Amino acid sequence: MKRILIYIEQHHEQEGLDLLETARQIYQEEPYETYALVLKSQYDALKGIFDVIVDLSEECLQEYEMRAISEVCYQLHKSYHFDAILFPATSWGRLIAPRVAMMLDTGLVADVTDIAHGEHGLELIRPAYSGRIMASIQITGDGPMMLSVRPGVFSYTQHKKAATQIRIPQDLRYRTGGLKETGRKEKHSEYDIRESDVLISGGGGVERYFHELRPLAELLGGHVSASRAIVDKGVADRNVQVGQSGKTVNPRLYIALGINGALQHIEGLRNVDYIISVNTNKYAPICSLSDIVVEGDAYTFIHRLIDTIHKEKGYEGH
Amino acid sequence: MKIICVVKFVPDVDNFTYDHEKHIIIRENSRMMVNPDDACAIGFALKMKQRSPDTSIEVVTMAPESVLPLVEDILRVGVDTATIISDRLYAGSDTYATSRVLSRYLSGATYDTILTGSHAIDGDTSHVPSQIACLLDLNHMSYISRIDESSFSSSLARFEVESEQAVSSYEIQMPAILGLTRASGYRLPYVRYKNLNMDVSDRVTVIHNDVLCFDESEVGLTGSRTKVVGTHVKTYKNRSHHVVTTDQEGIDTVYRFLKDKQFI
Ligand SMILES: Cc1cc2nc3c(=O)[nH]c(=O)nc-3n(C[C@H](O)[C@H](O)[C@H](O)COP(=O)(O)OP(=O)(O)OC[C@H]3O[C@@H](n4cnc5c(N)ncnc54)[C@H](O)[C@@H]3O)c2cc1C
Repeated sequence: MKRILIYIEQHHEQEGLDLLETARQIYQEEPYETYALVLKSQYDALKGIFDVIVDLSEECLQEYEMRAISEVCYQLHKSYHFDAILFPATSWGRLIAPRVAMMLDTGLVADVTDIAHGEHGLELIRPAYSGRIMASIQITGDGPMMLSVRPGVFSYTQHKKAATQIRIPQDLRYRTGGLKETGRKEKHSEYDIRESDVLISGGGGVERYFHELRPLAELLGGHVSASRAIVDKGVADRNVQVGQSGKTVNPRLYIALGINGALQHIEGLRNVDYIISVNTNKYAPICSLSDIVVEGDAYTFIHRLIDTIHKEKGYEGH
Repeated sequence: MKIICVVKFVPDVDNFTYDHEKHIIIRENSRMMVNPDDACAIGFALKMKQRSPDTSIEVVTMAPESVLPLVEDILRVGVDTATIISDRLYAGSDTYATSRVLSRYLSGATYDTILTGSHAIDGDTSHVPSQIACLLDLNHMSYISRIDESSFSSSLARFEVESEQAVSSYEIQMPAILGLTRASGYRLPYVRYKNLNMDVSDRVTVIHNDVLCFDESEVGLTGSRTKVVGTHVKTYKNRSHHVVTTDQEGIDTVYRFLKDKQFI
C-alpha cells in the first residue's frame, strides 16, 4: 500500500484537500493511504476524508518556522516511509518543500499543474520559461517523490468516508529560533475570485475605465478580475489577477474585456464553462477560446449590455 | 560586513533557444541577463555599501563562462568581487544538484549574510535559496518586499514580506539567506560611461570542478533528482465561436446567451 503525506497549510485547508485529487491521479487504481500533516488543530474539514491526521498542535509551531517544519517532515518520513509528499504551492509550501526534498535527497517538482502517465511512466507537468513552455518532468532516484502543486488546478470532489486516525507524534526533535514575526497587517479583500461563479475581467483595453466593470459584475451576480497588464499599472488589485503569476480560476462564465489572452493569462483559466471576449481586435488570441467574440469597444459593450439587461428586466416587471 | 549575492543569469525571456531534443536551454547563444529579483539583491547590497563603505560584496553565480562580460559589468557598478562556478560537468543540473554545487562553494566562503532573489523568470521553481539554506543550515526568507536599511547589520535584519493575505514584518538573526522581490524597488545601476572599459579582470575568479571536487555522478544530468522528459507549447482547445459587434443585434445575442445559460 502506498503512503502519501499531504501538508495542510493553515487557512488553506481546501488547497490541502484538493491534493487528494492529485494523489488519485498519480496512483489511479493502486491502493494508497493518505496522511494529512497539520500544524494547528483546526482540521474538522479533513476528518473522515484522510486516513490519518498527524496533529502537531502541541508543538505550537508557526508556519514560518520552515527549518523546524522540514525537520519534522523528515522525521515523519523516517517513521512512515512515504511514497509521495505533496505540498500546496502556496508561499509557505514552496519554501518548505525544497528543504524537505534536500534533507531526503529526493527530487521535487515545483508548481505542478497536471499529471500524465506517458511512455516514460509518471510525468509531472509544470509551466516553465514564464509560461511559454510546459515541461514534463520525471523524478529519478529512490524517492519519495515530492511535488508542490499549484492551488486551484486540481479539485477534490469525492467524499470518501474514511475512519480517520489522529496521531500525535512524540519525541520530535527540531530547532526553532533565529526568525520571528514581529507584526502583521491583514489585507482586506471582499471576495476571492477563485470562488466566483461569474468573473467580469478587464485588461489593457479597459485601463481607463476598469471601475465601470463592477456594475455589470453585480448585475450578473459575479465579481471583477483583471489581467496583469492593469495590475502592474496599479489600476486593479493584485489579488484579483488571473493567470500564471496570479490566480487560477474556475468560474462558469468569464467575460474578458480588453484582454489579449497571453499564454500566462490563459494559464489561469482552468475549467471555465463559457468565455465571452470583447476586443477591438477579433483576432486576439483570447477570441479563439471564446464562445462569443464581440468585436468592438469594451466600454460601449458594457453600457449597452447593462441597458439591455435593465430594459428586459423592466419588461418582465410589467 | 561581507555580503554574498547569489545570482542566476537567465535567458532574456523574449529571446531564448531551447533544445527540444535534449530538453535544455541553449544558453551559449541566447542573450542573457541577471534574473530581475537577483538584480534587486545586488541593488540592495550596493545601497548598504553606500551607507557603510567598509561593506564588501561578492557576487556568486553558477553559469557557463560566457557570462563573463555580464559579470564584469556588475563589478563596474561597485561590487567588489565575483565568483563564477563553471564546469562542463555541471551542465544540465537540476535545482537539487545546483544547490549542492553552490553550497559546497559557499560553505568555504566567509559572509555575514547571503542575499538572493525569490523567483527566477526561467525555471521559476524557487528551490535553490531554500535548498542552500538547508545545506548551510541557515534560516531563510523569500518574497521580501522591503528591508529596513538602518537596522541592517551583521547580526540582524528586519524586513517585510508581502503575501496575498497580509504584509508581515520579521526579524532574522544573521547569517541568513534573504530573498528579495522586485517589489523592493532596488535596482542594479547602469555602468557609468567613464567605467565602461574599466579593467576588472583581477576581481573575477572562475572556479571549476577541480576546486569543488564533485564526482561526475553527483552533478549535471546524472546527479539530478528530476529530469525533463518532454516539453510542449501548451495548446488550448479552440471553441467554435460566434463573432458579433457591439451593435444592438450583437448585444442581444450576448443577452440571449446569458439568459439561456441562466446568468440572468
Ligand atoms: C513570468 C510572467 C508571468 C505573467 N503572469 C501573468 C498573469 O498571471 N496574468 C496575466 O494576465 N498576465 C501575465 N503575464 C503578462 C502577459 O504576458 C501579458 O503581458 C498580459 O496578460 C497582457 O494583458 P492584457 O491582455 O490585458 O493587455 P494587452 O496585451 O495590452 O492587451 C490589450 C487588449 O485589449 C484590446 N483592446 C484595446 N483597446 C480596446 C478597447 N477599447 N475595447 C476592447 N478591447 C480593446 C487589444 O486589442 C488587446 O487585445 C505574465 C508575464 C510573464 C513574463
